[in-house]
Amino acid sequence: MKRIRKSFIALILVAMLFTLAACGKDKKSDKSGTDDVLNIAVTSDIVTMDVHKTTDDYLVPMNVFDTLFEVVLKSDGSTSIEKSLVEDYSVSGDGLVYSFTLRDGVVFSDGTPLTCEDVKFTFERILTLPESEQTDYAISIKGAQELMDGTANELSGIEVEDDTHMTFTLSEPFSGFLAQLATPSTSILSKASVTEAGDDFGVVPEKTIGSGPYIITSWERGAGLTFEYNSKYWGTEPSVKKVNVRIMDASSIDMAFQKGDIDLIDCQKIDSAIVESTYKAKYADDIVAVNRLGINYLILNENTEPLENVNVRKAIQTAIDRKAILDSIYNGDGKLEDGIYPSGCLYYCDANQGWLKYDPEAAKSLLAQAGYADGFDFEICMDSNADDAIKSVIQIVAQNLNDVGINATIKNYDHASWLELRNSGDMPSFLAGWTLDYNDPDNVIYTFFGSKDNTHIRSNNYSDDATIERVAAARGIVDPKEREAEYAALEKKLVKDDAVWVPMFSLKHLYVKSDRIESFTPHWAGWSDFYFKGVTLK
Amino acid sequence: MSGFVRRCIGVILVLLGVMVLIFVILRIIPGNPAAVLLNDHVNKETIERLTASMNLDKPLPEQFFLYLAGVLKGDFGQSYYMKRPVLDLVLEAFPYTVKLTVFSALFAWIFGIGIGVISAVHHDRLPDYLFRGVSLLGVSVPVFMVALVLQYLFYFKFSLLPLVYDGSAVSMILPAIALGWNSAGSVARLTRSGLMEQFNEAYLDTARAKGLTARQAILTHGLKNAMVPVITMLALQLSGMLSGAVITESVFGIAGIGKLALSAVETRDMPLLQGTVLFSALIISVGNIISDLINRCLDPRLRV
Repeated sequence: MKRIRKSFIALILVAMLFTLAACGKDKKSDKSGTDDVLNIAVTSDIVTMDVHKTTDDYLVPMNVFDTLFEVVLKSDGSTSIEKSLVEDYSVSGDGLVYSFTLRDGVVFSDGTPLTCEDVKFTFERILTLPESEQTDYAISIKGAQELMDGTANELSGIEVEDDTHMTFTLSEPFSGFLAQLATPSTSILSKASVTEAGDDFGVVPEKTIGSGPYIITSWERGAGLTFEYNSKYWGTEPSVKKVNVRIMDASSIDMAFQKGDIDLIDCQKIDSAIVESTYKAKYADDIVAVNRLGINYLILNENTEPLENVNVRKAIQTAIDRKAILDSIYNGDGKLEDGIYPSGCLYYCDANQGWLKYDPEAAKSLLAQAGYADGFDFEICMDSNADDAIKSVIQIVAQNLNDVGINATIKNYDHASWLELRNSGDMPSFLAGWTLDYNDPDNVIYTFFGSKDNTHIRSNNYSDDATIERVAAARGIVDPKEREAEYAALEKKLVKDDAVWVPMFSLKHLYVKSDRIESFTPHWAGWSDFYFKGVTLK
Repeated sequence: MSGFVRRCIGVILVLLGVMVLIFVILRIIPGNPAAVLLNDHVNKETIERLTASMNLDKPLPEQFFLYLAGVLKGDFGQSYYMKRPVLDLVLEAFPYTVKLTVFSALFAWIFGIGIGVISAVHHDRLPDYLFRGVSLLGVSVPVFMVALVLQYLFYFKFSLLPLVYDGSAVSMILPAIALGWNSAGSVARLTRSGLMEQFNEAYLDTARAKGLTARQAILTHGLKNAMVPVITMLALQLSGMLSGAVITESVFGIAGIGKLALSAVETRDMPLLQGTVLFSALIISVGNIISDLINRCLDPRLRV
């Protein structure tokens, strides 16, 4: 009996060991350790590869497609708009007509040439696709509204002369136009392949064809994507020839990087405590930092009592200890911002900085002046999808407000409900961030304060119509000096005089590279998506 | 036979009920799919245009009958987020979930029954205490915790297995263990107690008297009798595994039904969520009918 039992246990143990041993062997043969492959991981899958149907998923558009212009991040941290598909261009004196000469000999990865017809097709598709999310990027072109309304069949503002020469005419001057042409939103699609692919465009990798440095070779939903170098690419050959993108949760990404299976990690995707304890200690020399061209702000809704009172809003501005928050939550990796435009933004105005100081006593007297010496109930709405750092910031903000007598409470919403409430214009207050899509002050100020609808849909409800009109009008100023002065004046009026929001800080975006990577240039505005051609392998 | 027909009608009623329920719930809870799509890049015109393109501006009954008419024709609508037919997405994801569920069921059965038998044979001695401890852990530790520990041990510490699913059979091992862990625990406990009840039965003595060894008697006669309740439970657990798959698939990056449903909830992708819920309801209902049929075959007493 005893012998039997022993052999029985032994059998099971041997079986277990055998299984494990077999797995170990398989794993080694499976490993792709070639020199020109980049392995990265993201926390959530993309939704579509069609840039017209998303405002979030730019990983494919950025690497598979090209734009007319591109933004180049210089070593001193500044940016400039450079020509990409455009070889030569001129702008008329009134700022209305842009003439472009396209680079000769550019082909899509299927071998067909990229011509002005493709460019025109792209902008018409932005405006006519029923589920288009990028109309903001073509609306300034003459005839855009008519095309969207269906009263015109063509975009009258784009004239094609021949394969490489064309003009864009705007309905009114818009100085941010070239910057818009340098964003993934205006990636140039192939008329022939998009038309032929129909609904498969942006869904089936083989049918999603661009002229950029990479080809998307596979997309397994929920699991990952693979890219390969496009041998027909017109530009310099990148160092990375193949990219594997895996979808993993934060703790897996952390493990995989430390194990050497991932070459680049986006610190924003993992716990900030782990970044501090592990990465800053163990990988200090491998950290790549870029200034995020984004601003964090606390919105104050003028439609909620007593936030319509400017002194109450000013009291909230001075009651929050932003420096302590930046130091404790973000370990000082950022910069306090006192305005609307983040550091690094075009026309960033130093004169509008440095005025906002933490002063709880001043906050108390402002509250007393406004008739709220005993405080009031104040609600901050938290998006449950927000990252842990933002949630901690909200906790401290609430504490700061309680310290000056405001009864601040935090209310938690799931992402979709949070968005619905914000869009309804009834959210009393929330903390969020905005990262630039294109480097122009218009991108942030117009988004938040460019129209009544814009301030309403972000639950701000700024009440000064005259200033809102000035923000909209500033888009059309052609003279750079005049424009710079107007944007500075608007910033001062909105934030310092009217306390429209509490400006918080701009942050550094940290990445950690493995020792396989020689150098890495992140996205110029610190987006999580980046250009693979910015990676040089050892 | 009429019983079978009755059950089928029951399934159809259940599905209809599920359809109405999920449809109504999705429209009562706050959250507009167009708003989720646009997220921070929201403006009034675009949100109105997208809402209209999703038919969400139509009255609720009209939306429901449009949907019902589509379903009857085999059209489950188009995912708002992924912009593809729901049926395609569900059918694409289904094989992954089947693979995961089958592997975890296999794990649960092999290890659960194996450990249960060893525990029973060695009851109240060291191997029994050890395995009872393990199966108690199996029953009580949540899936995500098991997953994390497995990843840490087998990937990070000992480099034996891949971290996430990469299409290979080997990379299915950790997810299968993580998902099958809870079931293995309960199977082990049930097998142990079931088998121990049989030890006192007279038929085992008869078998021994006929010249079988103790091991042969237990494995050929005792185990068979102990298995009846275990098989019933396994069938029930399959539906539990479908819900556990939501977490397992997320942790291990498996593009299955659970992951699809999770993303649909987060983004308020109504057609997709309706499709995945309906599909899961169908699987569970059909699974219950099949387990009934198997039980009738196994246990003659149920056939009366």
